[in-house]
Amino acid sequence: MLYREAGQFKTTYASDQAIFPIRQDYWFVIGLVAFACVVPPLTGSQYLMGPILTQFLVFGLAALGLNLLTGYAGQISLGTGGFMAVGAYACYNLVLRLPEIPLVASFIISGLFAALVGVLFGLPSLRIKGFYLAVTTLASQFFLLWLFDHVGWFTNHDPAGVASAPQTTFFGRLAEAGGPLDFLEPINVVVSGPRATSEVKYLVTLGVVVVLTLLAKNLVRSATGRAWMAIRDMDIAAEIIGIRPLRTKLIAFAISSFYCGVAGAMYVFTYVGNADTEAFDLIRSFNILFMIIIGGLGSIMGSYLGAAFIVLLPVGLNIFASTVMGGTLSGDVLANLELIVFGGAIIFFLIVEPHGFARLWQIAKEKLRQWPFPY
Amino acid sequence: MSERSTAERITFHEGREILEVDFSGLAFRGGADVDAFYDEIEARLGETGSRWYFLVNYEHCEIAPEAWATFAERGKRANITHGLGTARFGVNVEVRESIRSHARSAQFRANLFESRDAAILALADMRKRHQTAGAASAESFLKVEDVLLRFGGVTALENVGFSVHPGEVFSIIGPNGAGKTSMLNVVSGFYRPTSGRILFEGQDRTHLKTFEAARLGFARTFQNIALFRGMSTLDNIMAGRLLKMKYNFLTDALYLGPAQKEEIRHREFVERIIDFLEIQAIRRTPVGRLPYGLQKRVELARALAMEPKVLLLDEPMAGMNLEEKEDMARFVLDVNDQFGTTVVLIEHDMSVVMDISNHVVVLDHGVKIAEGTPDEVRNDPVVIRAYLGEG
Amino acid sequence: MMEELLFFFEVLLGGLLTGIMYSLVALGLVLIFKASQIFNFAQGAFVLFAALTFVLMLEVGPGFWSWTGWLAVAFALLAAGIWGLRRYTTVLDAPKRYGRTPVVIAALAVVLLPILLDGGQPMWRAIFIVELAFLMLTVGARTPNWAAGVLLGLAAACFFLDGAILWRALAVTLLVMIMMAIAIERIVLRPLVNQEPIILFMAAIGLNFVIEGVAQGVWDADVHALDIGIPDVPIAWLRESLGLFVSIFDVVAAVTAGALVAALAWFFNKTRVGRGLRAVADDHQAALSVGIPLKNIWAVVWSASAIVALFAGLMWGSKLGVQFSISLLAFKALPVILIGGFTSIPGAIIGGLIVGSTEKLFEIYVGIPFFGGGTENWSPYMLGTLFLLVRPQGLFGEKIIERV
Repeated sequence: MLYREAGQFKTTYASDQAIFPIRQDYWFVIGLVAFACVVPPLTGSQYLMGPILTQFLVFGLAALGLNLLTGYAGQISLGTGGFMAVGAYACYNLVLRLPEIPLVASFIISGLFAALVGVLFGLPSLRIKGFYLAVTTLASQFFLLWLFDHVGWFTNHDPAGVASAPQTTFFGRLAEAGGPLDFLEPINVVVSGPRATSEVKYLVTLGVVVVLTLLAKNLVRSATGRAWMAIRDMDIAAEIIGIRPLRTKLIAFAISSFYCGVAGAMYVFTYVGNADTEAFDLIRSFNILFMIIIGGLGSIMGSYLGAAFIVLLPVGLNIFASTVMGGTLSGDVLANLELIVFGGAIIFFLIVEPHGFARLWQIAKEKLRQWPFPY
Repeated sequence: MSERSTAERITFHEGREILEVDFSGLAFRGGADVDAFYDEIEARLGETGSRWYFLVNYEHCEIAPEAWATFAERGKRANITHGLGTARFGVNVEVRESIRSHARSAQFRANLFESRDAAILALADMRKRHQTAGAASAESFLKVEDVLLRFGGVTALENVGFSVHPGEVFSIIGPNGAGKTSMLNVVSGFYRPTSGRILFEGQDRTHLKTFEAARLGFARTFQNIALFRGMSTLDNIMAGRLLKMKYNFLTDALYLGPAQKEEIRHREFVERIIDFLEIQAIRRTPVGRLPYGLQKRVELARALAMEPKVLLLDEPMAGMNLEEKEDMARFVLDVNDQFGTTVVLIEHDMSVVMDISNHVVVLDHGVKIAEGTPDEVRNDPVVIRAYLGEG
Repeated sequence: MMEELLFFFEVLLGGLLTGIMYSLVALGLVLIFKASQIFNFAQGAFVLFAALTFVLMLEVGPGFWSWTGWLAVAFALLAAGIWGLRRYTTVLDAPKRYGRTPVVIAALAVVLLPILLDGGQPMWRAIFIVELAFLMLTVGARTPNWAAGVLLGLAAACFFLDGAILWRALAVTLLVMIMMAIAIERIVLRPLVNQEPIILFMAAIGLNFVIEGVAQGVWDADVHALDIGIPDVPIAWLRESLGLFVSIFDVVAAVTAGALVAALAWFFNKTRVGRGLRAVADDHQAALSVGIPLKNIWAVVWSASAIVALFAGLMWGSKLGVQFSISLLAFKALPVILIGGFTSIPGAIIGGLIVGSTEKLFEIYVGIPFFGGGTENWSPYMLGTLFLLVRPQGLFGEKIIERV
């Protein structure tokens, strides 16, 4: 009864091509964002906002980035962690060396750096296809991490190779006392560093993620997205209808890496607070790939559903271990068990629903449309 | 039969390339009447030695049911051998229905108009399109010269050459493995010939990249459907529009102003194609779920969205039943007629090819064995041997 | 000058021999990709699993064998019984009726319980292995007849290979690997037939996690020394005459790899199963339609690659000691097949030689002097990428002719 599109007639192409053509979807999304803005900060739970929600948002954004490349443009990448690392270290160095730039702008600039690197590693995609390409993207993963490990400049010669997020404020130096925008000082909150609160970090992350997600949604429903999907579905035919394969693929690599880069930067600044290269290793790349496989390839919603699953699975396992098993499990056993359950769950999901949560979500919507009548 | 002689009923408007045929008040009672009339017209046409746009007046014209088959057949043949296009007017209800049904089954366009003026206007329009399509001189529109294609040791095409005139339906036929698809692949820039040249509008474009060929005005469909299976019908056709769209990812991401306007502008165009090919109902269906015949039609729609100068069709009717074949033949002729698109066609089904094409090239084992009008080719002993074997 | 040249050759030779060892891992990947277009990411985990099982079989005391042997016999009889019942009655059709996923999960829970509660006793581990084999094959894969056969083989190995410790361990490990391969085919792959390659790839990564988790959970994370009786010492006459240090062990490894390749080539080209394999590799549906039993063929291929993994595990295990890092060898094997081609068995060897030699040379002459080392991780991938830019299907891969 609630989810009826009957009576919503489209009289212009503009409204037919609107971002959420069904009114209920539109209000649902607005409601969801409003809920996410208001409720978690009200609960005041550090645990909910930090390790759960902020982590979810950061990895969801990275998954979205990968989904643009793999799910929409059809290029499998195993180098997500590497591109996140580029964003992370770029942002760290930007804040460290050019502290005048506001943090959010730094996020964007570090995303651009990641995009540049992504284009570089995407160049072979013109000639190399399928799994051959997937394996070559490991080159970026291994090379980039090696670079950050071996060149001390990137971590400001930190002996442990750890990049710790310095304290920054929302509007940056400009709005501090004596700066040109000092009238903004009262609302110039601390966003990163030890003094930043979970609420602020969470809200900044949320804001960035919502904006970037909307942009992604626009991209995939417009000409750029159609060119990507054409390349994905049949690259030969795409070329014959006049799509430039290299340009289209490189744009996909650039935008995907941009998203991953911003996610990496936020990982350091608004989520964990510091990072070494281990945070962006191959396991991370695989995790993000799992998110989009389980969530659904070629679906923006799916990226977040998959991210939620992968982020919450260890949390759930921990709760299970501590309550049901009563802490009888040693850490080692628990770690192995996590691996097994994780791997098993992936296989299980692939067998049950190879198109991921996004398909389930779609089916649920179809059902809801007809509810309470079956036909 | 009538008070005026047949010769009086034919008027040539030289400047506009229009031949006006006046059926008004005529009554065709049987095949013999029709034959008599057409024999005379065709004799006159043969004398002129050129092609004409036919303007046909049907006012108060009666055609007996038993005369219809001959009438449709003769009319069509006259159009194929001497015609550039036909417009009819003054048709009463009965005749209109008959013409429509014959147009459907014999695959020609009905082109019925209310008044003479409207018909003349339509012909002028048609002529203008044909002229722009053949803006470059007819000889150099699309020319394939001595194309040789080898894969390793296998020779797929051996020194094949032909030229396609603007506005015609050009067919390449031949038995299995004759190199038809390879030929199309060479023309559309997907394969590079080992030697030989391809000239389009007077310029050598042998070594163009595939996507550049599309930009020049080539569009094609495929023998094994090559649609984007994960996308809806609408998106598939819109993808064909990408060629004509101005887009970049920054404005697309914002989807404000220019990007949105551009989307809507091209959506309008695509909707016209959807109407034209009668696929409105499957607009939002993922193409993977469509039946074969409709997939072929969507593929044609995608090719049309590119507004091509040359439309390359690779077995557009393969695997279709009779009804679907007739639909497809009608669409091909309509495209040729309405948009003035040159059509290069590969087809197995000889009858369809002979019916709809102006010019036919026959390949066998990568070699051109015959070329000419459908009738010439049909009776060529070499062609018959290639199809039926020795003996 | 002479010394420099000698040093160069030593590095090159060392690289080539290491490369051959990479090829051992790469071979398994190629086998599976060739037959099923699956990019088996779990090959590294296979190698680890094989090496760990082998070490365990060497480490357990004599009491273990008779115990395990009898247990295997008992389970074999049980499996045969279930098989008979299944054939002639419908008593045991519950899994069929209710779907087998819950049964598999329940069975896994039962199997894992002794491990979770265990004090690290070999006996428990033996029970686990036999139990796992039994449950996987009967409940999970629903092939109790196969289970009975394999378990009887296991028992036979326990009882009759009493004198030869290494051979007994080898036989038991071989059987365990085959059981695992069959179970994987039945439980994971069969429901995923006809899915997109990327889905199968993901399943293989999931499998990788499961096997790694099981391997580390059942055994332990310590480094086990593995001695298969081949000394890792330089060949005396080479050292004396030329001053080159070439280990006997490395030579043996190289010979093993060569022998494996020869055997696989023979298997693929000369046997009936091999022909079926090639047919399946070309086109699943066409192969099915001419009556080639796709499922059994896959079981054979996965078993073959599991056996290859066992050899790789033995070689690498005795070189480095058996430890978790062995499973990371998959990342060394990837550039190997990138260069050699995903579908070429000889390509795996040549690719291994190229990767092994260039990564060592690059590290010694460029990496360490200019970048502080550690380049071995990525240089093979860069090399592979450059290779592919020239030949997109690898050195020996089938040439891709694009058709429309």
